[in-house]
Amino acid sequence: MLSRLRSITDALFRRDRFEHTLSDEMRFHMDAYAADLVKSGVPGPEALRRARLEFGPVESLKEDARQARGLRLLDETRQDLRYAGRQILRSPGFTAAIVLSLALGIGANTAIFSLMDAVLFRALPIKNPNELYYLAHGRKGNTSSNYPLLERYRAANIFSGVTAYEFQTFRVRTPAGVERENGSYVSGNFHAVVGVPFVIGRGFSSESDRDRGANPIAVISERYWTRKFARSADVIGRTLSVDGRTVTIVGVTAAEFTGLAPGWHLDITLPMSIKGLGEPTFFDARDGWTSLSLVGRLKPGVSEAQTLAAVNTVFQQFWMEPENAWARKIVQARVEGFFAHRDTAQSAGDIPPGALVPAGLGSDELRGRYTKPLRVLMGLVGVVLLIACVNAAMLLLARASVRAKEVAVRMSIGAGRARIIRQLFSESLMLALGGGMLGVLVAVVSSNAIVALFNTGEYPVLIDTSLSTRVLFFTVAASLVTGIGFGLAPAFRATRVDLTPALKSAAATIQRATRLPAGRTLVTAQIALCVLVIATAGLLVQSLRNLRTFDAGFARERVLLFNVETTAPAFTEASRTAFLSQLLDRLRAQPRVVSAAYATRTPLDFSSELRPVAVPGYPAPADVGASAHVVTAAYFQTLGIGLVRGRVFTDQDRAGSPNVVIIDEKFARDYFGEADPLGHVLVLGAEKQAMTIVGVVRNVRHEQLRNDAPRTVYSPLSQPAVGIDGRALSPDRLTTMIRTSGDPRALAASVREQVRQLDPNALVYYTRTMRQQLDAALVRERFLATLSTGFGLLATVLAAVGLFGLMAYRIARRTGEIGIRMALGATRARVLRQTLNESLVLSVAGVVIGLGATLAATQVVSAFLFGLSRHDPRTLVTVALILLATTCLAGYIPARRAARVEPMRALRAD
Amino acid sequence: MPKTADVLPGTLDMLILKAVSLKPLHGYGVLLRIAQISNDALQIPQGSLYPALYRLEHQGLITAEWGESDNKRKARYYTLTPAGRRRLKEETASWNRLAAAIAAALGATPNEV
Repeated sequence: MLSRLRSITDALFRRDRFEHTLSDEMRFHMDAYAADLVKSGVPGPEALRRARLEFGPVESLKEDARQARGLRLLDETRQDLRYAGRQILRSPGFTAAIVLSLALGIGANTAIFSLMDAVLFRALPIKNPNELYYLAHGRKGNTSSNYPLLERYRAANIFSGVTAYEFQTFRVRTPAGVERENGSYVSGNFHAVVGVPFVIGRGFSSESDRDRGANPIAVISERYWTRKFARSADVIGRTLSVDGRTVTIVGVTAAEFTGLAPGWHLDITLPMSIKGLGEPTFFDARDGWTSLSLVGRLKPGVSEAQTLAAVNTVFQQFWMEPENAWARKIVQARVEGFFAHRDTAQSAGDIPPGALVPAGLGSDELRGRYTKPLRVLMGLVGVVLLIACVNAAMLLLARASVRAKEVAVRMSIGAGRARIIRQLFSESLMLALGGGMLGVLVAVVSSNAIVALFNTGEYPVLIDTSLSTRVLFFTVAASLVTGIGFGLAPAFRATRVDLTPALKSAAATIQRATRLPAGRTLVTAQIALCVLVIATAGLLVQSLRNLRTFDAGFARERVLLFNVETTAPAFTEASRTAFLSQLLDRLRAQPRVVSAAYATRTPLDFSSELRPVAVPGYPAPADVGASAHVVTAAYFQTLGIGLVRGRVFTDQDRAGSPNVVIIDEKFARDYFGEADPLGHVLVLGAEKQAMTIVGVVRNVRHEQLRNDAPRTVYSPLSQPAVGIDGRALSPDRLTTMIRTSGDPRALAASVREQVRQLDPNALVYYTRTMRQQLDAALVRERFLATLSTGFGLLATVLAAVGLFGLMAYRIARRTGEIGIRMALGATRARVLRQTLNESLVLSVAGVVIGLGATLAATQVVSAFLFGLSRHDPRTLVTVALILLATTCLAGYIPARRAARVEPMRALRAD
Repeated sequence: MPKTADVLPGTLDMLILKAVSLKPLHGYGVLLRIAQISNDALQIPQGSLYPALYRLEHQGLITAEWGESDNKRKARYYTLTPAGRRRLKEETASWNRLAAAIAAALGATPNEV
């Protein structure tokens, strides 16, 4: 074995020496034999001649010796590659067409795959990520929880560590103004339990969360360190002003760690004890669920099943405690009602089981939202690659028939069929790898553009699509499969040559070539695939347009939103109230401002909450509470929310006057049916605040554009408002909104100036239009629509090129025939019509098949559609027309060339 | 001139191994030695020796190194390796069995059937 390896490597790497040895040895043999012959009396020159003669054919013997060394396969492969290279270079246009088609196809696939890799497959860069689990409940792994539940798990001592984090958009005061940064509040043991890697400094060291404000420290990310501190080593000990509190930086996390949730960069991490400062009831509140995520690391040697059993016991015991009555109700409400699509799949009244959700890949929030869209896109982009493959196969097929004669010659002088197939394959593999390499470039460029699609709005999704080994492996595999895929048919076809006619005359080859029935099938398939991609894109684009324009109950245009930071110590409660009322007056006085208002929540700002509600005497069908908003008088006017009956708030609704409330139509219908709700009393929240209903407004889709919002109640900011579930409302989280008479963006600068003039300590941040906020909520839809449109365009271009190539090729082959027909009296118009008809037949067949396929396949995207059915006739007809027009154009150019054939020239040419 | 015979297919390797088992030889020497030990009865096409030598070397049954020939010229000398020696023994045994069997078969008389 070893000797074989050595003899091969010797022969490979010391090829010259091998050849020398062989020649020297053979020469020595002949000389020695000649010398012996001379000794036996043969004259010198004659001896040498006889020696050579008896030795035999030197070159062929050498070849045999080489083969004995296993060099022949190598030589042949090298020959094949050289031959393929020559072929490729000989027809640069042909090569460019194939390589470019493939590069676009493979590149698009690589881009989507690298996105999938980043979102779906990448494991967290922490120690033993497989030991980490989210502590959830319900069959679908609902991760909502609260702090008392965390303490319960800790006390049960099931895990080697249990920790928790909650996403937060922090407001950081810098000399340049207030900047919003992604971050989290985490429990004191977070860094230790998760095993977060650090560049410098340390993580939190298990400080107690309940020591409110005792540890004003922060950990920042490597990204933030680079951006804000230029990677300065003395960052440890510096301070930040976050949400009005000064914290000291103690550590910088390593670059590869971006938090537990893919897409959400954990730039600033604060201990939960600071959260406790602003929200004192947080640690004990059991009247609802929070977005706190609980994470536990398994004890060494304890299995997942054992741990799950213990978790289940703890959770179910906690669940049934009387303090959790409201929390139970909310989960059930979500099961039955508005949130059914995003929550647990248990029936009301069930005790949900405790659940463990693997956390090794991070939280599944982004995965949950993007798995399906990414699969859809991967499917579309796969179809695009198929179209590109068909293009390449068709071009090769066309050329194979041109090369039929060459192949016949080579086969007739003894080349084996396998050898020729191998040769043609080396060519297609070379083309595919070329396409793949160029494709990586395409992927890198387009990934950046795709990632930018996500990076918008209040919650930018940050994805790292840098090429991983997995992605490169995918690309190489895709290229190889592609190369084999499109090379197979042409290679076999080319070698299935009937030698005699192929050699007899050029005319014979033309006869064969003009038919090329495989080409027609391929073009039809291409057009059908193309219809599938474009129709899908069309449905998604139309849905996006519907989502952007349908009436969701609030105005989308001419509304400017911004926030003002008025935190302590610059503001006291009293100075803040005064400031807010003055600011509203100032804004209203601005030119081009129609109205101005404050609200605790704005449509589609990703907030969601339910509060207990009751109307004495009117039991609701399912008593599940309502979504509560605190607003100022002009709120309804500013957002264009229509009043159905009663009145909106006025300046008379203030502290001391009777508490009032406005409800939406859904609330009115559910509680009062046809009766008049005005004048009835509504009791809101755990604190049971009684308010009189004074108005009914139209329903607004506050939370999701696709679904009705929960029943909604609005209470005036001017009356003693109790915040979310009994916790004091923090007015520094108010959003300011103004309705403008022109482009709202034009007012952004003057608004900032007004605020600065009123109080230099108040800082405007997060200025956006309602349109922008809406678009931020449609990132997923836009992502799907944009990319599928891109792929649709790509597919169309590729298919058009394919049809064009086929028709041009057929016409070029048939120049002689056309010449004869014209010589016999066919008019140019007739030739044009005939050739055009030919491509039209292919397009129509393709479109019909494609529409059939679309009707069958768009089931997978129906969940993303809005305002139209997946059989939407308008979209389908439009797609059909677009494709017919495109293919007609692609067929027209070669047809016109056919009609221009000069009969005499064409006849002479043959 | 004695009667000559062509080498049976597959037996050339065996003859080469036998030739170099006696003493290290260069290619031409192998040819002469086979002629000598077969009493000039076996004719080997001269050139075909080399592919066979290279194949045996590739299989690790013989090794080669440069040495000096009787007439002071550089020549490649082949030596049997231990693996080659084993192979020669096997091949000799199996050839003898085959030859005996064929001889027995050809020597059969009507009486023995």
